Amino acid sequence: MPEAASDDALPQATAVPPRRARFSIVWIVPVVAALVALGLAAERVLSEGPTVTLVFKTADGIEAGKTFVKYKDVNIGQVTAVRLTDDFAKVEVTAKIAKSASGLMVEDAKFWVVRPRISLSGVSGLSTLLSGDYIGFQAGASQNKARTFTGMEVPPIITDGAAGAQFTLNAADLGSLGIGSPVYYRRLPVGQVVAFDLSADGKTVTVRVFVNAPYDKFVGADTRFWNASGFDVSLTANGLDVRTQSLVALLEGGVAFDAPPSGTVSAPVAAKASYRLYPDRLTAMKQDEGIATKYVLYFDESLRGLSVGAPVTFFGVPVGEVTAVGLSFTEKTLKVRPRVDIVVYPERMIANLPSVQEKLAETMVKNAATRHAIMLRMVEQRGLRAQLTTGSLLTGQLYVALSYFPDAPKATFDANATPPVLPSVTSILPDLEAKLSSILAKLDRMPLDAIGDGLKQNLATLEQTLKDASRVLDNFDAQVVPALKSTLDDAKSAVAAAERMLTSTENNLTGAGAPGQIELRNAMQEISRAARSLRILADFLEQHPEALIRGKSRDAPPSSREAPPK
Amino acid sequence: MTAQALCAARAGVIACATCGLALRPAAPAHAGHCPRCGDGLEWRHPHAVQRTWALLLAAAILYVPANLLPVLVTNTLVSSQPDTIMSGVVLLYTTGSWPLALIVLIASVMIPLGKLLALAYVLVTVQRRSAQDARQRTRLYRTVEFIGRWSMLDVFVDTFVVALVQVSPLMRVEPGPGVVYFMAVVVLTMFAAQSFDPRLIWDAAESGERRDAGSR
Amino acid sequence: MPRVVCRCCDLLQRLPPLPAGGKARCVRCGQTLAVQPADPLDAPLALAVAAAIALAIAYTTPLMSLSVAGREATTTLPGGALAMWHAGNQVTAVVVAFCAVVAPACYVALLLVVLAAVRRPPAPAWVGDAMRWVDRLRPWSMNEVLMLGILVALTKIAQLATVFAGPGLYAMLAVVLLLPAIMSTFDAREVWKRVAWADGTPAAALAREPAP
Repeated sequence: MPEAASDDALPQATAVPPRRARFSIVWIVPVVAALVALGLAAERVLSEGPTVTLVFKTADGIEAGKTFVKYKDVNIGQVTAVRLTDDFAKVEVTAKIAKSASGLMVEDAKFWVVRPRISLSGVSGLSTLLSGDYIGFQAGASQNKARTFTGMEVPPIITDGAAGAQFTLNAADLGSLGIGSPVYYRRLPVGQVVAFDLSADGKTVTVRVFVNAPYDKFVGADTRFWNASGFDVSLTANGLDVRTQSLVALLEGGVAFDAPPSGTVSAPVAAKASYRLYPDRLTAMKQDEGIATKYVLYFDESLRGLSVGAPVTFFGVPVGEVTAVGLSFTEKTLKVRPRVDIVVYPERMIANLPSVQEKLAETMVKNAATRHAIMLRMVEQRGLRAQLTTGSLLTGQLYVALSYFPDAPKATFDANATPPVLPSVTSILPDLEAKLSSILAKLDRMPLDAIGDGLKQNLATLEQTLKDASRVLDNFDAQVVPALKSTLDDAKSAVAAAERMLTSTENNLTGAGAPGQIELRNAMQEISRAARSLRILADFLEQHPEALIRGKSRDAPPSSREAPPK
Repeated sequence: MTAQALCAARAGVIACATCGLALRPAAPAHAGHCPRCGDGLEWRHPHAVQRTWALLLAAAILYVPANLLPVLVTNTLVSSQPDTIMSGVVLLYTTGSWPLALIVLIASVMIPLGKLLALAYVLVTVQRRSAQDARQRTRLYRTVEFIGRWSMLDVFVDTFVVALVQVSPLMRVEPGPGVVYFMAVVVLTMFAAQSFDPRLIWDAAESGERRDAGSR
Repeated sequence: MPRVVCRCCDLLQRLPPLPAGGKARCVRCGQTLAVQPADPLDAPLALAVAAAIALAIAYTTPLMSLSVAGREATTTLPGGALAMWHAGNQVTAVVVAFCAVVAPACYVALLLVVLAAVRRPPAPAWVGDAMRWVDRLRPWSMNEVLMLGILVALTKIAQLATVFAGPGLYAMLAVVLLLPAIMSTFDAREVWKRVAWADGTPAAALAREPAP
């Protein structure tokens, strides 16, 4: 039975006060929230990259909060604000760069806006039509950090990461080069023009080219660059020379390079090496001449057709060139003498000698005294003279040829004069003229009329002969041929008979009756008769060949009759 | 148990709307202020029926353009596609996400309509002093008050779709003119529900009963 | 004093009044018989703090970002309202901003203030005003509708582009979970018990429950 109990009799449960003051488990929630918030904030602060300011001419295509800065197609930052500069001349674009890319923000880093562009080197940036314009970036090599940049208006030609080397060329003028003009090596496009600029003193143009790897290793210290734009036409004493690199070079201009034909390829140079840009290949490939000796020539004839740079040949081998063409005027006597200055490169003379002679020749060439002595001997003893020669009849260009003229009048050679005078002889040009005029005169004197008449007469005679010949042939046709024909008919019937006989022989001869044999005999007789008549005819013709033409006279008996055959 | 329910107004007790304190009014006409929270005391919401009707009508009028005008305009490279609420629902359904279509349908079409109809019904019954189903009507009112805010769903969806899909020229989404009207409908119905005093249902029920009792 | 029976040893005993957060143990076997809840306003305060932090994160960090054809776009919560403004729908922008940003922020802030103030009763009278505003702001702070709206938007956009959820989205989700939790643990009557009366009734009078 349950016991009833009053309140007081019951024990009291133990009241346990709370141990800790007021920190129930619920407070974990805000603690966690606070931790998360701190973590996010810390992450944001730590991953905060630098803010850069870019100055552009226009903000076309750039939108705050939307336009990205991309490097190698990776977003490295975003534009946060676009506003005008204080002087309202340019646009200031503020961009926040990711922390991972903050190391790229150095002094010579480049920024430009990538939008669809059409230029000489092609259409670029088309993908921005879909994805919106973005700011392109090119890394720089400097070590100094920078936060303000001037944006480029045109994207740089080279996207970095392209292996290769840049070189600087100095030229007198730009020619027809432009940014993007190709660089050729052995007609292969290997690079392009990156930039050009006028030098500070305004006298030369510096052109920067970029040669892609692996071709940049072909650029050595000796390499020559020349302007290969368009056509390279030269009309020289050697004739007409046309060279062009490619259609592109024709249109866009181009630069070409090659090692000079000295044979050795020197070691590749460091990038940014400086070279001279020659106007054409010929000038570029000209060897540096070692020794150059100058001479003066005086002529007594017209120098028209001789231009500066015309070759001087020695027995046909080019050994120098004309440096000046002019007149020398003596006031006292009013004498005018055409004067040509030439420069001779003795080293060219030994260039192609066989090795045995080369050694000898080298000493000759290198030693000035020996050279002078040899020249003296050549002029005085062998008759070395200079002569103007026609290089091309078509253009009338002249050049100077040195050769031995043993019949030339004696001359002296003073090696110590500056410059020494080489004696000359008259060119053969006047000779040529004289010859030509004499030929013309001869032509003039020829009795062409008389010749013409004689020809006419001969032609008439020929005609007559031909007429006679045709008459003979007609006769032949009319008379002799029927006779021949009847003879042939006889022959034919004889043959037919023989044939018949032969067929009947098969029937007859086996029986070998007398008829077969008799027939045979008859046939044989027939044949012999036919043959005889042929013979008679032949004999007759032999004796009277004119019967062929004149015909057989009716009453002419057969002149010979042979004994009847046995 | 008391045989008849006693409402506080009859007993001369007024409850503070904010803190719930039951008080005796300062004066029958002007109840005064709550001593605890300082809020003004009122027997019932002033002009509740009038205000609610006005707001309800305004909402009903604006409901038409809200549904006819497009709420979202999608501009792509090739086309410009406007979408009303209904066509948006249909689009969600046809592209396969029918749960979303259902949610948007309920939130943007059925709830506003339901609110309008429910509130109208309650108002009418109060004005006619209907005595039946007061409890259900109160429940209805409570439901309306509770789920009213969910109609704002479509507005929020539009806001964030517009905010995010800004990848011109590929695609750009713009809000259409219908959004404002739709939002107005939601806000107005919320105000209407707030301005209505559910106690009126019970007042009306009581007076209705008395009238019925009196007429018998 | 109420009676209680120990579950373990079946001892019938009286349950004394317990201090807040205190426990009653069985006299004989030590089994916990009853737990007095701690300060009823402790839990809501903690949750409100968490909600405030979560709101801060939700408003400042990106909500979500999308990527299509190499283009990216990202937005924060206030950014959404701002986009509406820029798109020409200023009215909508203002209302959205109010319902999604201002109202919840003020709601949680006021709640925090109130809950912090009543830890040391009596709280000053302005707390009452704050409580009134809390009550008024409640229907307008549409966090859960916002959450669903964002999710629907996310799903809609995910059909045409790759969408990434940002920390803001998860923070918003946390807020949506926290606020109802706060509501369920919040006892308005407890707060009102600790607030100084607007008419200046001294604190001593607060000891008794006002009728009824």
